[in-house]
Amino acid sequence: MTIQGEGHIFTRFDDEMKELHSIVVEMGKLAIRQLNDAVETLHREDPEKAYDVINNDSRLNQLDIDADDLITTIIAKRAPVAKDLREIIAVGKIVSDLERAGDEARKIAGLTIRFHEGASRPPSEEILRDIYSLAEYVGRMLSRSMSTFDDLDVEGALEVLHMGLKLDDQLQSILRHLSTFIMEDSRNVGNFVDIVLGIRALERFGGHAKNIAGHLVFIKHGIDVRHEGTNAIIESIQKQ
Amino acid sequence: MNQEASNSTSSLLEKDVVDNPDFVTVGTITADDAAMTCRNVDVHYGDKQAIYNVSVDIGRNEVIAMIGPSGCGKSTFLRCLNRMNDTIDICRVSGDIRLEGEDIYDRAMDIVLLRARVGMVFQKPNPFPKSVYDNVAYGVRLHGLTKTRAELDEVVEKSLKKAGLWNEVSDRLDKPGTGLSGGQQQRLCIARAIAISPEVILMDEPCSALDPIATAKIEELIDELREQYSIAIVTHSMQQAARVSQRTAYFHLGKLVEVGPTDDIFTKPTHGLTEGYITGRFG
Amino acid sequence: MSTSRQLVQKTLGKRYARERRFRWYGALSILVGILFLGFLLVTTVSNGYKAFVQTYVQIDVDLSAAQFGGEITPESIAAANFDGIIKDSLRNAFPEVSGRTDRRALYGLVSNGAQYDLREMLLEDPSLAGGVTPVWLLADDEVDVFMKGRIDRNEPEANRRLKDNAIGWIDQWVDEGRVEKRFNEPFFTNGDSREPEQAGIFGAIMGSFFTIAVCMLLAFPIGVAAAIYLQEFAPKNRITDIIEVNINNLAAVPSIIFGLLGLAIFLNAFGLPRSVPLVGGMVLSLMTLPTIIISSRAALAAVPPSIREAALGVGASPIQTVLHHVLPLAMPGMLTGSIIGLAQALGETAPLLVIGMVAFIVDVPTSPLDPGTALPVQIYLWSDSPERAFVERTSAAIMVLLMFLVAINGFIVLLRKKLERRW
Repeated sequence: MTIQGEGHIFTRFDDEMKELHSIVVEMGKLAIRQLNDAVETLHREDPEKAYDVINNDSRLNQLDIDADDLITTIIAKRAPVAKDLREIIAVGKIVSDLERAGDEARKIAGLTIRFHEGASRPPSEEILRDIYSLAEYVGRMLSRSMSTFDDLDVEGALEVLHMGLKLDDQLQSILRHLSTFIMEDSRNVGNFVDIVLGIRALERFGGHAKNIAGHLVFIKHGIDVRHEGTNAIIESIQKQ
Repeated sequence: MNQEASNSTSSLLEKDVVDNPDFVTVGTITADDAAMTCRNVDVHYGDKQAIYNVSVDIGRNEVIAMIGPSGCGKSTFLRCLNRMNDTIDICRVSGDIRLEGEDIYDRAMDIVLLRARVGMVFQKPNPFPKSVYDNVAYGVRLHGLTKTRAELDEVVEKSLKKAGLWNEVSDRLDKPGTGLSGGQQQRLCIARAIAISPEVILMDEPCSALDPIATAKIEELIDELREQYSIAIVTHSMQQAARVSQRTAYFHLGKLVEVGPTDDIFTKPTHGLTEGYITGRFG
Repeated sequence: MSTSRQLVQKTLGKRYARERRFRWYGALSILVGILFLGFLLVTTVSNGYKAFVQTYVQIDVDLSAAQFGGEITPESIAAANFDGIIKDSLRNAFPEVSGRTDRRALYGLVSNGAQYDLREMLLEDPSLAGGVTPVWLLADDEVDVFMKGRIDRNEPEANRRLKDNAIGWIDQWVDEGRVEKRFNEPFFTNGDSREPEQAGIFGAIMGSFFTIAVCMLLAFPIGVAAAIYLQEFAPKNRITDIIEVNINNLAAVPSIIFGLLGLAIFLNAFGLPRSVPLVGGMVLSLMTLPTIIISSRAALAAVPPSIREAALGVGASPIQTVLHHVLPLAMPGMLTGSIIGLAQALGETAPLLVIGMVAFIVDVPTSPLDPGTALPVQIYLWSDSPERAFVERTSAAIMVLLMFLVAINGFIVLLRKKLERRW
């Protein structure tokens, strides 16, 4: 979120925007860390750590509230227009996407607790591998989105949008892969639902990352991309 | 954020406009249904050029707001539209300005008639030092628009009602107009302008001397007047431009940088200078 | 914080002291001005107030029918020799006086204008005639001056114009209650005269009135029109610049130059009569014009441009704008300028001298075309006269001139107030 041109004549406005910016950056880092931590608890079969991850989510919630407060204040005091206005509106949406992404990470941590505290047999490492790779993928999406947020590089946003397109294909192949596991060993059925829910959470996580990329396009170009096909978006950006 | 680098960004943008003789206004200069059309208007004060090649339409039944930093020529341009600049000896206007297709700088155009058709409201409320009634009736009498006193009474009442002032002054029509509050005085000036049923009303920073409540009343009034008149308003308040206008024109150092629907200008302006100005980054 | 506070505090005493000093200087200047003005007023009034009363003596005049050829008719009254009648009466009052010199001194106690007054009296009221009647007659100026205590009877007789015998007669009259000071009506109704006791200011008042009226009627419209043109309509170029500079210069030209100009143009070239208020007014209007033009332009310039814009904005033509809006607002200022111009004109002597308004004119002018003089010229003339009685009359005339000025100023101030009230 760099500001092109010189700063505002009201330097306090710039300060407030910077504060907002740093909240968003922190939330982005936190969401990615939560995801990584959650996946790691799954990998290490460490329910203790999983509880920590779940507790840490409150930090994201708090930042979300802080950001909303700050946005309300800025709108009331500065009456932003044009790019400032778009930025404020988009940031308001980005923080709620990040907060929800954090919720999805929490669900993964919840998976660890269910697998390793319950009486049932935890799923084999092989089955979980799909979750790891998907988590890695959506994590990359979000971190790419967040780095784009720093320099408002639309190329980066388009990249994330493309990754979002591929996410669907990936999901299909993962589900197919999973079904082969069930066919191999029917004992896996017990964990199957949980794993699908985990995959679903990760998919949502990726969706939030994609949304954030869309908001960044809105900041940069003032076009709303949420309900358009990615190809159409790319076209309209290139037109400008 | 590197201050020097960013400074050069905006000065580059400015150079692109100011030092470029072939600069073309960004956005749509035409209105769907134009009451006035201005093409390639240049204004000189002696040797100094104040307006460079400005082309823009004043749309019928719409408010066009002209914004820009001080000295950008927006008031000068507004005053070309009813030839108010004629009163300044050294001022020369060239280009083509038409009111309903008639060239207003043509020899055949009578300046008195033009000013009856293009009314003006000024920055400082300037009621005549006469009664409220006479203020409104002055132009009507001057142009002989009514025959009987009853007709005149009716025009005065109607104009004051349109200006939203009737309820406040109906019991003191014979009191001096200068005794009203600033906001009331400005609405009186608007009533005076609409009493002669102009086609276009020009407003030169009409609220700059008023408090927020009086300003709000005038803005509400402007919005209502739009139904019957075409209005061009110069304002220093970008929020005001955003509130009252349908189209916004951004002037910078005598050039018209960008014109477009107000909704677009204030959410996603095209030109970097417009963006910088309305977001409060320079000016 | 505290250091800057201390620094400021250190300078405060000096600053306030300077402010107090400045106020004192101002008050002192005002005081000096008031002192000078007071000095002027006090000397003028103390010299002049006695001119408003005049000494009269009561003489038993023989107005028997015999004096009028036996029959008392308006014709016979008009034809009668009142000079002789008065002289007879004086002789009768002091039968012991003999000898030509003494008799002449006796006759000199009564103004030689008294005969005309007596005739007027009788024509008005013929019933006075028919016997010996006590009549109040205007005393000579020397008697008047003596009665007002300005002749010291202890002075050697040779230094006095009023000799011992005359003083004796006056004393006798005073003892008999035959001497009285009355309000000096002739001073306000007569024209000029060689005899101080008969000299009046009325001719000069009328002369000044006509002069100023002509001056005002000419200078005000011309000045205002010129100012309007220069201020509102004239293009700004070299020619108007030159005109402007010249108008400013003209305001500083000595008034005598205008008098000579008037002499050359109005009298010599146009052949207008000498000594008439019409020409005086024209000359003074030449002199007043620059003042009026300059102040009128300033008044026009002071009208806020927003009013012009407002009028032009509703479609008034430039001349309508000026006549309907600018002029009414500028009028009070213009009148103020005119007051200054007229006051100056009213006090002006030099140009009037040049065009002959200094002539000795007894008749009161009844129109601007009658020869006349003006108040300041009258003051100048009287101040130059040798008779002691003229000293107090000079001061009295100055008082009248001041009153005249106050009246004109008051009138214009009233007019201005009235115009200003039109918001």
